[in-house]
Amino acid sequence: MSDAFEELRQQVREWLAAHPPPDRDFALPQSMLSVSTDEQFDYLRDWQARVYDAGFVGSEWPAEYGGGGRPAGSQRAIDQELSRADVPYLINMVGLSWAGPIILKFGTEAQKKRYLAKLLRADEIWCQGFSEPGAGSDLASLQTAAVRDGDDYVIDGHKVWTTLGRFAHHMILLARTDPDAGKHAGISYFLSPMKVDGVQVVPLIKLTGEEGFNQIIFTQARIPSDTLLGREGQGWELAIATLNFERGASEGSAGGAGGFGAAPTEALFELARGLVRDGRPALQDPGVRDRLAAFAIEAAAIRYSGQRMRVPALCSDRPMALPLLSKVAVTEFVQRLADFGCEVQGYAGTLYAGDPAALDSGDWQKQYLNSYANTIAGGTSEIVRNVIGEKVLGLPKTR
Amino acid sequence: MTTTIAYTEEQALLRDEARRWLRERVPVETVRALIGDARGDDESVWKELGELGWLGLTIDEEHGGAGLGAVELAVIAEESGRVLLPSPLLPHWLAATAIGLGASQAQADRWLPALATGEVQAVWAHVEPNGAWRAEQTQAEWKDGTLRGEKCFVHGAPTAGLFCVPVRTGGGTRVALVPADARGVTVEREKTLDATRRQGRLHLDRVPVPEDALLERPAEEIDAALLPWGCTAFAAESAGGAAAALDMTTAYAATRKQFGKEIGAFQAIKHPLVNVLIATEHARSLVYAAATAIDEQGDDAESLARMAKAAASDAYGFAASRAIQFHGGYGFTEECDAHLYMRRALASRPAFGDPAHHRARIADALIGS
Repeated sequence: MSDAFEELRQQVREWLAAHPPPDRDFALPQSMLSVSTDEQFDYLRDWQARVYDAGFVGSEWPAEYGGGGRPAGSQRAIDQELSRADVPYLINMVGLSWAGPIILKFGTEAQKKRYLAKLLRADEIWCQGFSEPGAGSDLASLQTAAVRDGDDYVIDGHKVWTTLGRFAHHMILLARTDPDAGKHAGISYFLSPMKVDGVQVVPLIKLTGEEGFNQIIFTQARIPSDTLLGREGQGWELAIATLNFERGASEGSAGGAGGFGAAPTEALFELARGLVRDGRPALQDPGVRDRLAAFAIEAAAIRYSGQRMRVPALCSDRPMALPLLSKVAVTEFVQRLADFGCEVQGYAGTLYAGDPAALDSGDWQKQYLNSYANTIAGGTSEIVRNVIGEKVLGLPKTR
Repeated sequence: MTTTIAYTEEQALLRDEARRWLRERVPVETVRALIGDARGDDESVWKELGELGWLGLTIDEEHGGAGLGAVELAVIAEESGRVLLPSPLLPHWLAATAIGLGASQAQADRWLPALATGEVQAVWAHVEPNGAWRAEQTQAEWKDGTLRGEKCFVHGAPTAGLFCVPVRTGGGTRVALVPADARGVTVEREKTLDATRRQGRLHLDRVPVPEDALLERPAEEIDAALLPWGCTAFAAESAGGAAAALDMTTAYAATRKQFGKEIGAFQAIKHPLVNVLIATEHARSLVYAAATAIDEQGDDAESLARMAKAAASDAYGFAASRAIQFHGGYGFTEECDAHLYMRRALASRPAFGDPAHHRARIADALIGS
């Protein structure tokens, strides 16, 4: 396999061998979506800083904003190596993969200087303030208000499903600056500070029983006017651009997007290897074997679609198909895989994290419940199917 | 070693050429006109396929072929699937590839130049009456210069000039090269679900076959080496068919109106079509991974080819089923092309193994048998 980044990959591997993640005596949640304690947060923040200081975060971003200035494709190579080594994830995902790229693309020089280097090192953590109780899939119906007052905007409203809300320093915030303009035209996009008066963070308990996301209530919160990204009324355009980063349809992540490896399927095989069903090894059950093979095929299809995406001549019929469909394909695959991981355990699948007899510490059950985060967040699978149907297949709009 | 998909500018140009030529030369009216034709494929199309260099695609240049590989084969197979090309092109390729894999110099000199031009149409005749299709399962028997047996479901048999037949001999399995005009050879045309495809039953009744008409290598080895090619060829054809069925259904859903709007605006239509798109694009990715692996002699070629075939057959069946369903009452008519795709999907599904077969073998490879 020829790889332009083999030398860089080697550097990552060597660095990891010499600088493994520090020991700890507490568990980390399965993803950054469920970080809930200070010790988890501090540990993960420290880990991202180490990876950044080693030169492996923001590899493709310009050096003047704290990046590594390496060519396109280098971050992916790094992320793959990190993912393969099974080291902790990078905590500042919202910053690295969507707030950062959007600032890099649309921010002023001052904004780039102010925010980018700090998010790469996890010195400042980012969260996302898009959804509201009354604005989910119909995001543009959001009601949070931003009223200009001198050098400030005054924010009033209610945001939900805010991952890392308790820890974040900044939020990418959608708010309505012009209630009289159209539904989409009245929206603006802010890089809002979180540690100011009038911002209240209320934790929510997830269906897994874990903490991790929050409601954010803004009451007469004053934020400086230079936190406006782009111009007033440009918010919807910037929101869609952000969602394209979030869905993996646009490239530009500064790290943590290790992509989809062979890991989930292999973990399932490993689980099945130790199971007995109907008095014989589960791996002798033709039904189990058929399902496992089907997962292996789908995993390979996803992996090779990721590769084919980078060969434009093999995507010329529908150039946007693979980038746009990957979110649905990956998240639904992982969901079905985790579901089968529960089913194949039989009665053992009725146990949960905390029971000493739970297989794999009950991770499959928790992972299956958690998998719904990704088929809902960033546009539900249903909304993304509308987008694909319209943008890729050219079907008429549903609404 | 794991394969990384490769694709050159020449291969992209070949696709453009193939797409243009096939669309122009084999519109669906031609496909339909050939359904009632005794031969089933247009002799002039066959000749032109030879002139384009496609019939000898995988035959080496020394023998008049193009000396190209599995990626080029996949490109043309995919495009041929899009237009529902009625032709024994795929079994001809596989016969040529089998001969290339197993022939002595003299055997290659004797047959390959005629296969490259299309003067002789060959087929890989490997399926037993009981449906077994791997060389080690062959019942046809060669003994003392005489061949007896029967092969069924032989794609391209009615027009074939040469049959490549896996046989048992006293000392293992071999592949016999049997000219259609040899004594004792009869071909009985089968009535097929896919009326755009010609198939036949091959009766071999004490056919004289000299020992030098047996390919040198054992049939099992040739069969094993050919398997990734066969899977990839039919997978590519099926992926192309699925893409065409999706295009057709999408175009209809974007214009057909009910309840005052285009039916494609309804999520009950839109979302399943996106699912068809996902299945089709996934299959295409596996096809090009498998084809690259074959050309680079990767040790994952067999598993990728099996995966590609399983995914592409499933995608094609799904795409064709949604094509019929979403055309509504019109989809149930003979006039609507949707059933042509369904028939082809079902005809190509067992070729070189159906999805359940491949999943079973993939499970064996991944977790042991």
